[in-house]
Amino acid sequence: MNAPPLSNSLREYARGIAGGLMFSLPLLYTMEVWWTGFVAEPLRLLLYMAAVFVLLLGYNHYVGLHRDASWSEVVIDSVEEMGLGLLVAAGMLFLLGQIELDHLAFEIVGKVTIEAMTVAIGISIGTSQLGGSAEKSKGGAEASAKTEVTFEGQLAIASCGAVLFAANVAPTEEILLIATESHLLKLVGIALLSLALTALILYYIEFTGSRRLVRAGSVVVVIVGTAISYAIALTVSAGILWFFGRFDVALLTCVSQTVVLGLAATLGASAGRLLLQ
Amino acid sequence: MKKPKKNWLEWMVFGFSSLLIVSVIGFLVYESATIGDAPPDIRLRIGPPEARSGYFAVPIEAMNEGDQTAEGVHIEVVLKTAAGEEERADLEVQFLPRRGAREAWVTFKSDPLKGSLEARVLGYEKP
Repeated sequence: MNAPPLSNSLREYARGIAGGLMFSLPLLYTMEVWWTGFVAEPLRLLLYMAAVFVLLLGYNHYVGLHRDASWSEVVIDSVEEMGLGLLVAAGMLFLLGQIELDHLAFEIVGKVTIEAMTVAIGISIGTSQLGGSAEKSKGGAEASAKTEVTFEGQLAIASCGAVLFAANVAPTEEILLIATESHLLKLVGIALLSLALTALILYYIEFTGSRRLVRAGSVVVVIVGTAISYAIALTVSAGILWFFGRFDVALLTCVSQTVVLGLAATLGASAGRLLLQ
Repeated sequence: MKKPKKNWLEWMVFGFSSLLIVSVIGFLVYESATIGDAPPDIRLRIGPPEARSGYFAVPIEAMNEGDQTAEGVHIEVVLKTAAGEEERADLEVQFLPRRGAREAWVTFKSDPLKGSLEARVLGYEKP
């Protein structure tokens, strides 16, 4: 295969940027996220970048546009997505009046970095999922129908979906509010609802792709699959909450917040995962 | 390992992205290495008063010289007029990033030039 024509790559980038904006706009428009940009320690931002890069590698490897890609291509794609994410986030924040040239370098870099990470995940998904029919033969829906995605692949994609869904609500004050004000039994209710939704989406309501990606064999399969999905969701929501500095409180509040956010995360880990590949 | 086939645009985007990421990481590493753990230390600077329609506006610059961000910084400015009267004004800065500065204005009815101004931070919280 020769190098692709220029117009193709241009279109691919534009598609990615459209996807990036689509998935990250709620975060770009949220005050709490801007604030976290300069409240968070630099080390925390570095860890966040590393975590997102691993997610991008996973997503690009298992679902990405170039499915037969070697690892070097996957790395290159991920670097490009993260770079474009930084660029798009900076441009958007500037237009939204959230970064001014007279701001401190740290404030600018912090805000841009934190926003860029979701933009990058959006770009990755946009590039591979919003493609037209011409691209299908290269790796769109048809190609993924042919190849089975492995268990590790499912884990990676579920994590991506969970991050994408949970990140939109995680930074808001409402999560803490709900977590502290709800009766404990209601929190148990939220957890049960999360589990029920996960099981239904994955095994019952025949969501797009569910036939192909999950097999409802026995009850055991359903229980194990649901448990794994919800476990991913809880892990991701705990990670995001920690990142947004929401874990400097009592253990019970931490757990409650994780459960409250877990509902969004588990929708991402189940429905998101089916839609993203 | 097969060599990825890319056109010049893709290589350019890749090169630019790498550069951007490396500089962001470099900057964050530098910041985390140099930044300490000092609590917020807010210094106020009173600018020259300006006459507006019916009142006087005084620019206030708040600078946080600590390594931690302060939230809800409440600032009070007292004007002692020549007649011995006191006029108070206050304002709140929502966020004052570490090593960052914010500008704000307070207003007075009497001319601050004919008296003395004093500004102080009433309080702030940890974000």
